[in-house]
Amino acid sequence: MTDQPVSLAPVAVNLLGQVEHPVFGDSPYRIDADGAPYVPVGDGGLVLGVRLGDSVFDTSGDHVAPGACLVHPDAAAQHALLLYACIGNRAEVRTGASAGAVGAVLGKRGETGRVIAGFDADELAAMRPGDQVSVRAIGQGARPDWLPADVTLMNLDPALLPKLPVTAGTASTAGVEVSVAAVVQAKKAGNGLGRPAPAWCLDLQLTAADGIGLRFGDLVAISDIDARYNMGYRRGWMTIGVLGHGASPLPGHGPGMTVIATGPARSLRPRDDGAGHTGLTASMLMLP
Amino acid sequence: MRVATNAAGLVAQVLTGEVWPPLADRHGFRVGPDGQPFALPGMGGMTLGAACGDPATGYASDHLEPGASVRHRDPGANMAVQFLTCVGNEVTMASGPAAGQRGHVIGQHAYVLVDFPEPGAQQITTGDQVTIQAVGQGLRLTDHDTIGVKNCSPGLIEQMPGGTRPDGRLEVHVAARIPAEAIGAGVGMISEYANTDLMGAYAGLGEDLSLGLEGLRIGDIVALADQDHRFGRGYRAGYLTIGVISTGQCMMFGHGPGPSSLLSGPAEAFALVDDPDANLATWYHDTTGAQ
Repeated sequence: MTDQPVSLAPVAVNLLGQVEHPVFGDSPYRIDADGAPYVPVGDGGLVLGVRLGDSVFDTSGDHVAPGACLVHPDAAAQHALLLYACIGNRAEVRTGASAGAVGAVLGKRGETGRVIAGFDADELAAMRPGDQVSVRAIGQGARPDWLPADVTLMNLDPALLPKLPVTAGTASTAGVEVSVAAVVQAKKAGNGLGRPAPAWCLDLQLTAADGIGLRFGDLVAISDIDARYNMGYRRGWMTIGVLGHGASPLPGHGPGMTVIATGPARSLRPRDDGAGHTGLTASMLMLP
Repeated sequence: MRVATNAAGLVAQVLTGEVWPPLADRHGFRVGPDGQPFALPGMGGMTLGAACGDPATGYASDHLEPGASVRHRDPGANMAVQFLTCVGNEVTMASGPAAGQRGHVIGQHAYVLVDFPEPGAQQITTGDQVTIQAVGQGLRLTDHDTIGVKNCSPGLIEQMPGGTRPDGRLEVHVAARIPAEAIGAGVGMISEYANTDLMGAYAGLGEDLSLGLEGLRIGDIVALADQDHRFGRGYRAGYLTIGVISTGQCMMFGHGPGPSSLLSGPAEAFALVDDPDANLATWYHDTTGAQ
């Protein structure tokens, strides 16, 4: 039996991000899993037309995120923004036509690192790359008293947790039960393996052809993956995340989940509610 | 391998590089699968004591890169070195006390990895210059249209056992078969750069981490189940990728001994033969030290 970890009070830090501009190299093309060239649209930057609840497979884009991707011009500061921002954190626009607008962090992406922030559609449409956004980062290191000792939470604003379909176990059903849209096998884990879960999402190698209806904001479980430190294979474990970006034509990529919980499968128990699942919604985040 | 190729139409390019130093930061430690801190050598520089045919795991090391780890100082030229160099290409030392010694490329890992025979290998150090005769990208197996060839010198294909069978399948000898669950860091990257780390080979750590891969050797030819590496590295049910184990022991979680990609196509296009001699050491690594 693991000793119960001490629950320390989390602290909040105001961080600065700026809305990313998409970048390309000399060639517009990437190569998809079948060898065909394509022009990636919506891979970072400020993306309009997708919202929480939309299908992750229905857009003709690459890693599309429902909102604005936030970066920082200094690489070390960008890593800190990525590492400390948590889903549900308040994001306030500080400059530009939407100054004063308040949105929320929806997820994060690895590689060079981006924080995904959602806003009201009209306010999002009035924003432009370079606009500054202040993120009130709080959540890393937070753990509620009722959490079983062998379950780890991350990337989650403490104020959001009670609104998500996460239920503490009872005396007869120990552990934590979480409603999910799907339970995915470890062999479908893609980009993000071997990378730190507080700073990188885990892509699921799924396409529309797999026939699993998944939406932005859905909670998804992946079996036999341990995400406490780097993400990797461990038999008997379970990891749960929130889908923050959409599908990708690239081999080894796909809809990406930002990890919120990981632990032994006996303690972290997903309940596959399929199409009946409700995950992260705009109303939970007080987004209009 | 008894197989028809377009090798006669390939050109070789002469590339240069240098033995590149290991890189660290002032924080020192990284963390293992259970959060255990470690600070271990293995990546970059000239790594001794692990060569083709030796066990891939069992060392106090992380991201073990056997032999010389080579890059080019110019970023654009470095990508040419990483993309164009193929397994089996000949590399000649161009400076230092080992100048003139020859070795062979065993794979890529964001460095080009070169196996040099002992005792000459001990004379090589960081900063020494190398000359690479790069040939192999563009290679096709002309009777096997569905199989893509990656990072593979024509000489390696010639020396590998197997070949085209009467039923049209390509016979390949492999030292190990790898389940899809083992694929770790490197998935989603392009097939001509770095390699695919295999999880489930953490010698001496928990049983719940093991996928039975602790017996892999450096240089082993392996078959990766349900992997399509024709246009980047990803999962595809019913596909198969042949690779060569070019890196070894990892302590970092989600990482492990890694195959560089060689051949990839539908599983039915291959006929696998389990063969413990399917290792680069059988064809390249000269343990006598003779030139």
